[in-house]
Amino acid sequence: MTVILPLLFLLTAISGTAVVLVRDPVRQVFAIAVNGLVLAILFDALQAPDVALSELTVGAAAVPLLFLVALMAVRTQPPEEKP
Amino acid sequence: MTMLPYAVAAWLFGIGLYGIATSRNFIHLVGCLGICQSATYVLLLGLGYRWGSIAPIFYDHPPGTPAVDPVMQALVLTDIVVGATLTALLLVLTIQAYKRGGSLDPEKLRPMRAGGGSRRNQASSRADDGAGKTS
Amino acid sequence: MSPRIRVALLALAGLILLPCAATVIAGLPPFGATIAQYGERINAITPEARHVANMVSAINFDLRGLDTLGEEFMLLAAITGTVVLLRGRRGEGNTEHAMRRPGRAVIPRSEAVVLACRIAGPLTALFGLYVVVHATVTPGGGFQGGVILASATLLIYLGEGYAGWRDAIHSHWLDAMEGGGALLFALCGLAPMLTGAAFMQNVLPLGTFRDLFSGGLMLVENLGVALAVTGGFTQLFLEFMEETRAADEPDEPGEESA
Repeated sequence: MTVILPLLFLLTAISGTAVVLVRDPVRQVFAIAVNGLVLAILFDALQAPDVALSELTVGAAAVPLLFLVALMAVRTQPPEEKP
Repeated sequence: MTMLPYAVAAWLFGIGLYGIATSRNFIHLVGCLGICQSATYVLLLGLGYRWGSIAPIFYDHPPGTPAVDPVMQALVLTDIVVGATLTALLLVLTIQAYKRGGSLDPEKLRPMRAGGGSRRNQASSRADDGAGKTS
Repeated sequence: MSPRIRVALLALAGLILLPCAATVIAGLPPFGATIAQYGERINAITPEARHVANMVSAINFDLRGLDTLGEEFMLLAAITGTVVLLRGRRGEGNTEHAMRRPGRAVIPRSEAVVLACRIAGPLTALFGLYVVVHATVTPGGGFQGGVILASATLLIYLGEGYAGWRDAIHSHWLDAMEGGGALLFALCGLAPMLTGAAFMQNVLPLGTFRDLFSGGLMLVENLGVALAVTGGFTQLFLEFMEETRAADEPDEPGEESA
């Protein structure tokens, strides 16, 4: 555990940085999903299985999906012409 | 190692703020806000951890075994779920801002007016739609 | 404000706040050395006092149940806001046409996907239910299980298509689940007061430690949270997906070529 935890913390920092530095929102969605997965693994290593389960379902599945749908909604629809 | 989790939390919060300040796309901005939020998870769970302790679930281990702090976990747990719905709310606001203002770029955001006064600069900003163009 | 000034301001704020953050971090207890007394006491007392094995659920649904009530209504408010914002512009109806990006081929759903979703969907839902009902025993509870259940309904979308998904899931039920769950949670707080107990006091029989029926009132509150989260997240998915459908308005013929 003494080796795994620091590595996971560093991995979290790297994946979080990646989410910010990936400027293209479409690619960023994948960075967000990976970040959610890394966070879930970190939480599990921190003896928080409840939180890991929550982060796994929310951070790695639900939130990226919402981002994808928002992107799709923005990309397929032109702005309103007239109210 | 003793300070690493807190440093990681501070770094995540800082990099999230940097992303928010420099973002040129609202959807990217919401993602950066999520990173700021994950800093709180890391901080809280880091504070609640203790070496050699089990998870605070006394099913396989008898009660009384040293366990990590359950209060922090309860805080983070609800935070994650409620945070996801707030992300959804922000994304919807983004979609609405795009439909009304014609752009996803925070720089091009103009105050909304009831009579549709913001439609004038729509044509100029239409070119840079949500197709992921960044600065 | 130009982006350059904004970054400069952020750097300035960072320079000022960095020493403060460093001081705070230096003042925190070293990582992994000790935990707060409150958590320590909860770990020591709660298994006996409440007959539950999962401390996190015990805090969420009993010891700090009032906070969860607040979270519950935050959830409700956020989802209501989302739905209002989306429906306000679009109306309550739903449409049959998917929106297409010009120049992208429409690939029909393969039979392998349908089969995989038909197998995985019920299994995911079952796992979600398992996570919900074992809230007081093993890791899990209404929050996690609710999101898993909501994700299971997405497999219907993936396997059966949008029309099948909308046929299987009705928005009105979701509204009822979401609001009903929050109401159930609030009633769990108020009902004990009828018997003369305090708000959200655990008046039901506590059950057996490590058994499925343990925790008394927590089980009901957990059910309320599960209902609200399942309904709320499915509603979110539904409303977001509806946003990607073609508008039904007749005055948008040029949309396919936009």
